[in-house]
Amino acid sequence: MRWLKTYAEKCINCGKCMEVCSKTYFKEENPALSRVVITDPGAGRNISVCNQCGACMAVCPTEALYRDKNGVVQLDKSKCTSCLMCVGYCPTANMLYAATKQTEPFKCVACGLCAKVCPTQALVLVND
Amino acid sequence: MDKMKVLAEWSYTPTKIDKGYTRKTLYVNVGEPRMEIRDVTQDMIDKFTGGRGFDLKLLWDAVKDTTKWNDPENEIVLSGGPLCGITQYPGTGKCYAAFISPLSGQTYDSNSGGYWGPLTKFSGFDAIEIQGKSEKEIIIFINGDDGKIQILESNQPDINAYTITENLHEYFATSEADKRSISVVSAGKGAETSYFGCMNMSFYDPRRKVTRLKQAGRGGGGSIMRDKKIAAMVVKYSKMTGNENNVVDLDTLQKVGVKLHKEIHDLDDSQCKMRKIGTAHLNEIMDEYHLLPVNNYKFGQNSAEIAKIHSSEYEKLFTQGLPDGCWYGCSMACAKAVDGFTIQTGPCKGEKVTVDGPEYETVASLGSNVGVFDPLWTIEANFYADHYGVDTISLGTTLAFVCECFELGLINKTDTNDLELRFGNKKDIMELIHRMAVGTDEFAAIVAKGIRYIKKAFAEKYNSDAKTMEAIGMEGQGVETSEYVPKESIAQWGGYYLTLKGPQHDEAWLIFMDMVNKQLPTYEDKAEALHYFPNFRTWFSLVGLCKLPWNDVEPANNRIVNPPKEAAKVPEHVQNYVDIFNAVTGKAIKKEDLVTMSEKVYNFQRVFQVRMKQGNAFHNIPLRALGPVFADEWDARKDYYDGKLKEIGVEPAGLSTEAKIQKLQEYRLGMWEGLKTAVYKRRGWNKKGIPTVETLKRLGIDYPEVVAVVEKYSKPEDVIA
Amino acid sequence: MITVNGDPLDWHPGMTVQDVLDAKSYTFRMIGVWVNDKPVPKGEFGTFVIPDSAVVQAIHMVSGG
Repeated sequence: MRWLKTYAEKCINCGKCMEVCSKTYFKEENPALSRVVITDPGAGRNISVCNQCGACMAVCPTEALYRDKNGVVQLDKSKCTSCLMCVGYCPTANMLYAATKQTEPFKCVACGLCAKVCPTQALVLVND
Repeated sequence: MDKMKVLAEWSYTPTKIDKGYTRKTLYVNVGEPRMEIRDVTQDMIDKFTGGRGFDLKLLWDAVKDTTKWNDPENEIVLSGGPLCGITQYPGTGKCYAAFISPLSGQTYDSNSGGYWGPLTKFSGFDAIEIQGKSEKEIIIFINGDDGKIQILESNQPDINAYTITENLHEYFATSEADKRSISVVSAGKGAETSYFGCMNMSFYDPRRKVTRLKQAGRGGGGSIMRDKKIAAMVVKYSKMTGNENNVVDLDTLQKVGVKLHKEIHDLDDSQCKMRKIGTAHLNEIMDEYHLLPVNNYKFGQNSAEIAKIHSSEYEKLFTQGLPDGCWYGCSMACAKAVDGFTIQTGPCKGEKVTVDGPEYETVASLGSNVGVFDPLWTIEANFYADHYGVDTISLGTTLAFVCECFELGLINKTDTNDLELRFGNKKDIMELIHRMAVGTDEFAAIVAKGIRYIKKAFAEKYNSDAKTMEAIGMEGQGVETSEYVPKESIAQWGGYYLTLKGPQHDEAWLIFMDMVNKQLPTYEDKAEALHYFPNFRTWFSLVGLCKLPWNDVEPANNRIVNPPKEAAKVPEHVQNYVDIFNAVTGKAIKKEDLVTMSEKVYNFQRVFQVRMKQGNAFHNIPLRALGPVFADEWDARKDYYDGKLKEIGVEPAGLSTEAKIQKLQEYRLGMWEGLKTAVYKRRGWNKKGIPTVETLKRLGIDYPEVVAVVEKYSKPEDVIA
Repeated sequence: MITVNGDPLDWHPGMTVQDVLDAKSYTFRMIGVWVNDKPVPKGEFGTFVIPDSAVVQAIHMVSGG
């Protein structure tokens, strides 16, 4: 399974991952549109991103969410009804939505672009 | 399958939805045949909102004062409402149907899940009216993809619901994936014999790869379909997007919806367990509180047998872990189903099927109320009721009444054509259900007409004692009571029998609030609840929503931040409704407006009943609903009922049980009258339950033809001071 | 003596909210409890001790079937 492994202790909160993510998929540099979310609550940095667990697939009424041959959970927009039940049922709150951009939810598809730009290897794309 | 012959066809340009409305309705006359697309006026939106409101407005204009259920001008009107078809909030796929009911001779409204409501709206129509009578067996096809309405000559050899629904999804879909774009409304053979025929509304379940059925069960809509020779109605719309309603504020809609999804995710397992068991989570709870109808509502409890129908037994039978919503976005997922069920009797014997349900109502109606505590039998009865197109609630309550008549000797085996109709006799009760669908057995054909008809027919044909039947036949306004024992809650007498259309639990369920919580001590308190809850709940029917996500889950802090009486209204969820209504329509309503919107339609419908009943739209209540009728009922809770006599100053010692029963009945009949007056007064009605002209004016529904009905039947002496 | 939804119930020292629910056979899952008008969180039913003469409201929440 291909997924994005995170090392929060290495993160320097430079924001490059969120920049490349939102720019790639929404043509806009906007942390609110990034599939990887860095938060810094003070006590410790947190990197939140989909771990490809697949809980969302089970609640999708139309089987729009599926696991591709690499083990990555993908959304087939042609089947999606934009109900966002997957958002409510994501155990790690990594199914995201933004009404200004599209009706459907969006999530990390383990493309690895963020890992490439991360200067400290806080994000690593792995296959296991 | 051979192509069906096109009897009539019309093209149209589907109107896109804007802010929840297409502002168009479809009229189809299956007799002439004729089709018309009509405009929705702003006044119609302002006064009737949509859904059941639109249904009733269109029905009012279509029928005469004298229209009977089987006259050609009677209509089936179907409408979703402005929120119907959004996917971002749970419970938003409801379709509301209205018609003149064969059971009651006045209007009835009934609702269903499934995809019919949303897909017809996406096809361009806020409401659909079906009028006239066809000579040939027909299928109505609304093709929202191509903009075509067709009347087809049915080529279906079997019109029973599971079969015809499966076949028509297959017939009209171009691929497996396309089956989701279709919804079928069907009835069945039983609906031809019966006055309580139901309408099954379908959706396709892509995981199980079967069609699923939800029902607009009550009131006899399916009987009207069959009277019009409609085998099925089909809609197809395959171009659905995530914002078909073209809402004003998608952002708010998404945020409010996600909040509720999370709430259900976090709390359902510790609250109502709707996702695991659906409404069958109530089985043992109702038994514990003496509310589970047993043997025609004689008893409210059966401690010896309840374990057999405990919700945990149903949990094992329902397939777990599937997204069982009857429309997209319903994370409450209460549309449970039993998969791989092998049918034991009747025409489908030996077949392996998926059965929709049973829900609590069916567990009780085709279960405890007929003395059966066997989930497998109930599942089979549920399957056949849906398949034959009869309402599980009316069917079960009617069968319960017939069993008691048999046990009392009011009818015998000669009358029943050899059926031993004792409570719990599973074999013969099931056989009676099959005979209703065959339609040739005279006794079965009488039973299929419901309790009000049966009381008269049994007395005439079999010399059965009319007074006894009057006391134990659990109908109000001609409609069978749904499955809660109302005896010990005065407010629930009103919740059932002071309703617009008969004893159905969709207006007010006040038993806990009244009987257990003791929050409604006075007539005025009860009347206030019988004003607020029926009107609040009417709102769901105007906009196209399901009631369940309102209070079958509640926010974790609901009982901490709200005082008891307010908590019952689940204020945060009420605010959700205000927010999503405004987000869809762009209006700016406040929570107080929900009740006012409903009151317009509620009072309009009441005047409609008065019109159809020529001023005699009475609210009746059977004695069985007020308390024990026979000694064994009293003795089952002897201490409790003796205590009730003491409370009213009657010393039970020395009285025979019959005398005690009579004393309590007399007292409670007086209370019923007191309740009725308080409720009529709170609702702005006169002593005959007719809304006053002032009430119509206050609500802005003082249309000349509505005022004329009120003025025609209201007398000065009926004014409540 | 305490009252529960207006009806009297014998009190004993150490009586908890859960004891009251058991005594009344209140098995419903959706019950909100107020003791002398103060809400008791569900997680504290087993530990919240009710004082003598308390007014207890055990409110069954369901409003509709």
